[in-house]
Amino acid sequence: GLVQSCGHIIPESPVLALGSNFTALCILNESCLDFGNIYASQIIWKIKNRVVPKEQYREINRTVSSVTFNDTSSLATPLTCNILADGQIEQNIYGITVTVGLAPEKPKNLSCIVHLLSRYTPVMTCTWDPGRHTFLDTQFRLRYRWPEELFPDCIPKDVNNSCTITDTQFFVNTEIWVEATNALGKAESDHLVVDPIDLVKPVSPQNVSVSSGALPTGLTLSWQNWIPEAMMKLKFNIRYRVVGDTNWTEVPSEDTAYPRTSFNVQGLRPYTEYAFSIRCMKEDGQGYWSDWSEEKTGITSEE
Amino acid sequence: LGAGQSIQQTYDLTRYLEHQLRTLAGTYLNYLGPPFNEPDFNPPRMARAERVPSATVDLDLWRGLTDNARLAANYRAYSRLLCYLRVLDGQVGTAELRHRLSHFCASLQGLVLSIGGVMSSLGYPLPAGPVGPPGPPGASAAPNDFLKKMDDFWLLKELQTWLWRSAKDFNRLKKKVPPAVVTLRLEARGF
Repeated sequence: GLVQSCGHIIPESPVLALGSNFTALCILNESCLDFGNIYASQIIWKIKNRVVPKEQYREINRTVSSVTFNDTSSLATPLTCNILADGQIEQNIYGITVTVGLAPEKPKNLSCIVHLLSRYTPVMTCTWDPGRHTFLDTQFRLRYRWPEELFPDCIPKDVNNSCTITDTQFFVNTEIWVEATNALGKAESDHLVVDPIDLVKPVSPQNVSVSSGALPTGLTLSWQNWIPEAMMKLKFNIRYRVVGDTNWTEVPSEDTAYPRTSFNVQGLRPYTEYAFSIRCMKEDGQGYWSDWSEEKTGITSEE
Repeated sequence: LGAGQSIQQTYDLTRYLEHQLRTLAGTYLNYLGPPFNEPDFNPPRMARAERVPSATVDLDLWRGLTDNARLAANYRAYSRLLCYLRVLDGQVGTAELRHRLSHFCASLQGLVLSIGGVMSSLGYPLPAGPVGPPGPPGASAAPNDFLKKMDDFWLLKELQTWLWRSAKDFNRLKKKVPPAVVTLRLEARGF
C-alpha cells in the first residue's frame, strides 16, 4: 500500500538570496510519533548526503526541529529531514529543493538604434547591460510608451541584453526602459525619452557614381539618398584617395553639411584615378553615421 | 517639450504621414482595382462620404479661425479619420499592405497625440466629448462591395487633403510660436 508521509518541511522549495540566512522547520506527524516511537530530537538534517552539523539544529518541541544556516552559500539541493530511531536504520522523512541566487541589478547603459528595413519599416534595437549573473531564471523585457499608450512589451529571444521593436514610430517622443524580474525582486533601468527619428542609422548613399568634370583637377560624385527627405534631411562625409594609396582624404564636413545628391571634389591631380566613398547622417547630427558606401572610382581628365 | 519643439515635431510628423500616404494610397487603390486606381477617376461626393470629415473648407473661414479652434478641428478630424482607417486596416487581404496600413495607423495615432501635446503646451483644452465616428462602427456599413470601396476611396482622398493642409497649418503656427514662449510664460509666473 501507499507509504504514509511522516512529516514535511517548511518552507517548501524556497528561493533564497545568496549570503542571507535561512531557517527551515521539519514537522513530524503526530500519528507517526505514536506508531513509530520517533521524536524531533532524533531528526538529522542533510544537504545532499552531507549531515548538517548538529549545532545548527534546534528542537522546537516534540514534533518540530529547525535548522539554521547563517549563509545560504553553503546550501544545496536537496535539503532533507531524516530520522534515526533507536536501533533502526536512518529513514528519510521529507526533502525540499533549495534555489539560491541574487535579485536582479538595475539594467544600465540602455541605448537604442533604429534601422530602416524598408522605407516604411523602421525597427529599433535596444541594448543594455543586464548586470550581474543572478543564478536564477530572470526575465528581461523592453517597455515603451507614449504619454497615453503603453505598447506591447518587447521580450528578448535567447539573450538578456537586447530586443528589437519591429514597428517604430517617428516624430513622437517615446519613453523606453528595461525591466528585470526574478523570484527575488524586480529592477528597472533609467527611462530614455526620445524621438526615434533621432536614433536612426541611415542606409548608406546608393548608386554612387563618379564623372569627370570640366577641369582636369576635379571629379563629380553623384548618389541617391535612400531615405525620403520628408522623413529625414541628411548631411554627408565624403572621402577619397588615389587608387593604390591607403590614406584617405576627407572633404571638410562643413562643405557637405546640407541635403544634396552630388558634390564636386576639387584640388585633384590631373589624369589620376581616385576612389570615393560616402556616408550620411541626420542633418542635425542626431543618430548615427551610416556605413561608408561601396567605393567608386573615376579618373581626372588630362591637362 | 516646449511649444515650439512640439509644433516642429508635429509638423515633421504631418509631412512624414503625407509622404507615406502618397505611396500607400496608390498601393491601396491598386488593391481596390479599377475604376478606383485610374488617374482620372473623380466621382461625385455621395451622401455616404459625409461621415468622413471633409477636408474641403472655405480657406478664408479656415484661416480666420483662432489657433485653438483650428487645432481642435484638426484633433477631431484625425481622431475620426483614425477610427475609419482602423476599420480599413482590419480588412485588407495582403500582408504587406496590412503591415503598411497598421504602421500608418500607428503614425496617425501619434499625430492625434502630438496635436493634443501642442494644444496642451499652448494652454488650450482638448476637445471635449467623443471624437470617434458617430454611431457604432459598422452601423453605417456599405450595402455592397462597390460602395465599400467608394468609402475607402473617399477616406484616403480626404485624409490626403487634411494632411496637406495640416502641414501648412503647423508650418504657419511654427512661425507664430517661437521655441522660447513657454519659458517666458514660466518666468512671468515667477518659477
